[in-house]
Amino acid sequence: MKILAYYFIAFSTFAAFNAQVGAMEETRLFAALAMTKAQESSPIPTDSGVFIYNGNTDTWERTGPVIQSVGSITTDPSNPDVVFLACGNGIVRSRDGGQTWRMTSGWRESDFTKIAIDPVDGNNVYATSVWGMSVSRDGGDTWARANRGLAERYSRTVIVDSRNPKRLLLGTADGIYQSNNRAKSWQVVRSSPRLTILRIARSESNPDLWIAGTEGEGVFLSKDDGKSWSKTAPELGNANIYAVAMDSSDESRLAVAGWGTGVWISIDGGASWIDRGAGLPSKNVTAMIYDPNQSNRLWVSTFEEGTLYSDNEGKDWHDGGLKGAYVFDLGVVSIK
Amino acid sequence: MRQFRTYLGTAVLLLIWFAGVQTRGETPLPFFSDAELAIQYRERCAYVIDQIVENTDPNDFTRGSMFNIAANLHSGTNIEWARKRIVAANEPPTGAMFWMHPMVLLMETGRGVLNEKDWAFIHELWRTYFPYRGDTENHWIMYYASIYLAAEMRPDAGREQWYNGKTSAENMAEAKEYISDWIRITTSYGQGEYDSPNYIEEYTRPMALLAGWAQDPEVRQQGKMMMDYILLDYVVESLDGLYGGAHSRLYPRYLLQPSLTAGAAHGWLFFNQGEYRANSGNTLIALSGYEPPPILFRIAHGRANQGYVQRELKRTRWRLRNAGPDAFEIDEKSTTPVYKYSYVHPDYILGSSQGGLLQPIQQQTWSLIWSEKNAQGKTNTMFGLQPFSSPLEGTMYFASDWDTVTNLIARSKVDYDSPDKLEGGSPYEHVVQDESTLIALYDIPEGTRFPLINTLFSRDLKHRIEDYSGWIFGQGGPVYVAYRPLAPGEWREVDWTGLLKSGAGAWFSTNFEKLAEGSQCFVSKSLKNGYIVEVAPVSDFESYESFQAAIRALQFEFSLDPIPSVAFTNLSGKMLFANYGEPLSVNGKAVDYTQWKLFDGPYSYAERESQSLEIKFGQERYFLDFKNLRIESTILPAE
Repeated sequence: MKILAYYFIAFSTFAAFNAQVGAMEETRLFAALAMTKAQESSPIPTDSGVFIYNGNTDTWERTGPVIQSVGSITTDPSNPDVVFLACGNGIVRSRDGGQTWRMTSGWRESDFTKIAIDPVDGNNVYATSVWGMSVSRDGGDTWARANRGLAERYSRTVIVDSRNPKRLLLGTADGIYQSNNRAKSWQVVRSSPRLTILRIARSESNPDLWIAGTEGEGVFLSKDDGKSWSKTAPELGNANIYAVAMDSSDESRLAVAGWGTGVWISIDGGASWIDRGAGLPSKNVTAMIYDPNQSNRLWVSTFEEGTLYSDNEGKDWHDGGLKGAYVFDLGVVSIK
Repeated sequence: MRQFRTYLGTAVLLLIWFAGVQTRGETPLPFFSDAELAIQYRERCAYVIDQIVENTDPNDFTRGSMFNIAANLHSGTNIEWARKRIVAANEPPTGAMFWMHPMVLLMETGRGVLNEKDWAFIHELWRTYFPYRGDTENHWIMYYASIYLAAEMRPDAGREQWYNGKTSAENMAEAKEYISDWIRITTSYGQGEYDSPNYIEEYTRPMALLAGWAQDPEVRQQGKMMMDYILLDYVVESLDGLYGGAHSRLYPRYLLQPSLTAGAAHGWLFFNQGEYRANSGNTLIALSGYEPPPILFRIAHGRANQGYVQRELKRTRWRLRNAGPDAFEIDEKSTTPVYKYSYVHPDYILGSSQGGLLQPIQQQTWSLIWSEKNAQGKTNTMFGLQPFSSPLEGTMYFASDWDTVTNLIARSKVDYDSPDKLEGGSPYEHVVQDESTLIALYDIPEGTRFPLINTLFSRDLKHRIEDYSGWIFGQGGPVYVAYRPLAPGEWREVDWTGLLKSGAGAWFSTNFEKLAEGSQCFVSKSLKNGYIVEVAPVSDFESYESFQAAIRALQFEFSLDPIPSVAFTNLSGKMLFANYGEPLSVNGKAVDYTQWKLFDGPYSYAERESQSLEIKFGQERYFLDFKNLRIESTILPAE
């Protein structure tokens, strides 16, 4: 019964949130992770899944099934009861705020890294995987590949343009690709670096401002809505950048981090960068986000050495939990 | 005990028969009818099950795998123990597809034995435990074979009764489609995790499950036919039950002692070769009722006294990125052809693939195994490698990040990032072979993590001589071996970093100190490098000295700059020319890889993309037609 109770709790976390907050909608921080530090003589992490941060109790609480290899989570902007997990197994969806879950993809889809939903029409769901882009046109019921035009299918991240939901930007192993027809076809963004794009973020306060982290070529910035890209943060010239973040309340505040780099912060829109890695338990950073609920708070996940936050632009760091975790994605989800 | 005596009686009969075989035609070969072979095989299956039942302690609820539970359920023994053990062994369930398939076995053998409460417990596990589908071909086929059968047992179960929220019908349809697709790709382009002495059972287990218990006759037939297919693939490159040639995956302790592998355990069960050893795959197969076609036994035992060449086409695992110029795509996934070549002699198997990063982590590009009267405890093998380790390889095959992939691989395959490891492919290795001659060339760039090559000289390669001619001679059982390094090296003990001896490798290096004791590696640190291996049966020479003299007399030239190349006339008088990165030239004619068949040898033949396999022995012909799920057994006209 102990196990059953455990699973019940795990499956019901979203539902519990709903009960707590009634019909109100709020944004919560999530971490998609695997507990790898204690993983010895085994290919299986000691724990894994998606955890939601509860600011009231300062704890991370599991949501969704206990499942190995979960890359990310998202909710439908038009209906937060609809939740998607991007998993190694495929796409797992809940339509009742996390009370029940269903794997909606089949054997042809696997190894998902990121998922995004059309903010206007929730039927259009886009998921990146190491095998390319998969698209659903029916809210996640069925899935099909959408790789037309891609030179390399390996993809890590996708963003739907909130101003023009027909437009998507995709980070592949061959640079940034753009679609203007809801992923029916893709064209390379010529000025983007032709190598693996690990992360892309867009400023909410200035939607023309985009930032990308690469494998081996550091950080790139676009100030014209993703049309042209140029290198920034020369100090990180050859770094693998696994984390990029933009403060939703202040377009001039950016942060980037990667393997062996610690955290670098810009307060002038990317014109200059400051090393703020001192005080972190590790300089190997895998995920990062500015907290939309707390002004100026930056969350950073280090590889297996915990997640930390800073409220003063990285001058001081505070323990945010998740010790031992390899955080694949740190982001926010809307919860009703 | 009655069954054991029967088994012993059969074993004695077979030993007498073996003695006849091993005198190389001097004694007329006995003949076993199909019925006799079936009876002998069933006796071995019964012995496997009896051993488990006999070793079950009904008072100990802390020990006993789900395979053991299944054996007891099948036999109707220790049922109360089995019931309690099912619960204890699943608190909590772990292992994903390694949990799923023994659970299905337990369920199938528990029909009519387990009670309502037992079934309720089992069904609750399927509702709440969400198994990972994995990241390899063997993971997926175990996953889908298992969910297929589990769903077939409860065809009306709704979405709420399964961990993944799919109905039984949906799960079965998805699984059936994947299983069919895996069979199509395997029988068209070759297996991705090919010819693994360790992982063979990760394929025979799910196929035997389907062959044994699938209610859908199509799926049942698929399971049976793929069992036949996998076993043919094994038997034509096996020697007294040991799997020879190049392999996709092998763990360190099994590299050093081929008789410990699952392949060897299968050799005993299916063909009565080698010794009995407890093996979970054998348990499952014995319970499944699958029976191999007699032609496979006849190939295992009745092979000609002459050696033969076996060519096979396989493929790499799916490549996510960095697929390389040789890659081709199947349904939008990249893979690369693997050209296998084995020379199978009654006394030895020398086999190779072309080199390169054909498989992540555990590739064995080439190997020699030789016959031993009792292979138990023997390191009757030789192989070489460049111990390559790089995120390039890791990210080619796994979804992990560049900076973490090596670290995470080494969490379970601890020797992956060690300079003295014994397995793994290298992009800087190029191997060619013609019958008993193998040439390996290396062109290792400056800055490579482990810029060296290792060749194993086992403790059972006796009478080692470092000859003034530059050749190193040795004798392994009935085989002489000559090894000519192209650059200087030094002798080091196996596991010279001590990583595996320290126990860091967990189960796959258990007892490694003992297994490695007395064996050495020839380690050479020249970046431009290579060696020749020439093998010959002892029976071909009057003495060891005459073999050495014959080798010394062979014409041989080599150069290492700008790229390694060798011109060598071997013991058969063939003129071989090998240039790094180019096909082998034999008597002036280059080997044509474009003509490589899926199977091409005296006992098997299959064209690429044929979805079929022809198995031959004498006048017997056994044909597997996967497109139509048809088996055709015919007798050919006498020659």
